[in-house]
Amino acid sequence: MPSIDGKDIKSIVVACEAGMGSSVLLTSTLAKQLKPHGVAVTHSPVNRLTDDTADVVLCHQGLVNRARQAAPNSVVIPFQMFMGDPAFAKVTTAIADGGTLDG
Amino acid sequence: MAEAAPLLGPDAVRLGCTAPDRTDAVRQAGELLVGLGAVAPAYADAMQEREQSLSSFVGEGFAIPHGTDEARGWVHHAALAFLQFPEGVDWDGQDVRACVAIAASADEHVGVMSTLAQVLLDAELAEELRTTTDPDRVLQILAPAPADEDEEETT
Repeated sequence: MPSIDGKDIKSIVVACEAGMGSSVLLTSTLAKQLKPHGVAVTHSPVNRLTDDTADVVLCHQGLVNRARQAAPNSVVIPFQMFMGDPAFAKVTTAIADGGTLDG
Repeated sequence: MAEAAPLLGPDAVRLGCTAPDRTDAVRQAGELLVGLGAVAPAYADAMQEREQSLSSFVGEGFAIPHGTDEARGWVHHAALAFLQFPEGVDWDGQDVRACVAIAASADEHVGVMSTLAQVLLDAELAEELRTTTDPDRVLQILAPAPADEDEEETT
């Protein structure tokens, strides 16, 4: 399973089924939070992911297998809730304070 | 950039709706988008399909029904619709009081979604959207966030 150090994260992609709903909602929130750390946050439909898309892929639990297939070398972090899921805190903390993310 | 028509207009706000279940609520949302001329009926079918594969519930009593990636071709023009269900709808086990239905082929709606993300973090505004009887308040609260705020370093 790939892993990455928080300080090496420069790009995050939020993947969802269609890439037009929940991922857009989440992207705007995360982009604001992570902008001071120089991390670009974009969004994508899960079936258009590739290994080059981003350092870290965030996606709903239900899509995690498809995301890992599409981007086997990216760290894929699943979440269950769109607002306030602990996964987001884990990612933002690793970026802000350092730490390793596995996924 | 030319001033575009707002993605969420007064004719796309429906307050005080009732629906017996999620399927009916999504049907109402789809019909509204079809009625606005924003999508073909096939897009409304894709909204049901997407809902079955993964709920569009996003928290705070809100859901954001929308189509699938494959259904983008059925979008005539980007539009949003707001449907309020004051009595609540059972949304795959969650209680939904308001829907923001999305028709988009690209990123036209990012500004409004950015605003919605902020509203979902603001308990008072979220409550107002769930309960207001004034359609103008919905339009005021969901006015798109200025795009340059997020892009100032890239331009």
